[in-house]
Amino acid sequence: MKVRIALYGALREADPRGYLELDVPPGSTIAQLRELLAAHVREHAPAVNAGLVRISAFANAEEILHGHRDVPEGQELAVLPPVSGG
Amino acid sequence: MEDIRVAVVERSTAALDVAAALEFVSDPRFGGIAVFVGKVRNHNVGRQVTGISYDLFEPLALRMFRAIGERARAEVGAPLKLYIAHAKGKLQLDDLAVVVAAGTPHRDEAFRACRLAIEAVKHEAPIWKQEHYVDGDSAWSEGCSLCEEDRHAGADHGRQAGHGHGH
Repeated sequence: MKVRIALYGALREADPRGYLELDVPPGSTIAQLRELLAAHVREHAPAVNAGLVRISAFANAEEILHGHRDVPEGQELAVLPPVSGG
Repeated sequence: MEDIRVAVVERSTAALDVAAALEFVSDPRFGGIAVFVGKVRNHNVGRQVTGISYDLFEPLALRMFRAIGERARAEVGAPLKLYIAHAKGKLQLDDLAVVVAAGTPHRDEAFRACRLAIEAVKHEAPIWKQEHYVDGDSAWSEGCSLCEEDRHAGADHGRQAGHGHGH
């Protein structure tokens, strides 16, 4: 299935559109999605530190989705690099 | 009655307003108000800063601000009004980045609620800071990972390698 992932912070630089679309096998977990995204960034956005993806969280508009969760269908997700507000 | 107010304010639309925060948390029951104001300063880690851009995942940030407010209320165990507002977009030196205000019956509760809220906003909310330097360079600040695996690996958060909490 196709999953759209909105980009924030330093990961915005991975795509000028501000989001990416990844093909994700059905039944994938968030942890597997993180690996797919890291591989995509390494291949298509070499200027971005792919290691940043490894310490990034995923979320929908309601909550953080931890690694064991299934990737939800039909929802736009966001990838959240380490935060630095305030 | 609404007693927690949260906002994300686009800088090109308006500046954060400390007076509005004070007005919101004022109440005849309250003798103590604590306010924290975070501003854009002219240096960081030895580099001269000319401005900051804040990126936010807004729907989740607002939801988290509310959850932080509820947590502060539970922690303080007293009547509380809490105001949390964070700026978004491109800020100049001296601009306000964040305003937190807490109103409670006594000062100790106000200080505790305000401190809890600003620390949680800084360490948990989906907000990213990009600093702009005098030489024309820009850099995203290193921050706190929200990644469960990463947090569990460094259970004593704040002592992770290279992650001091002076920020």
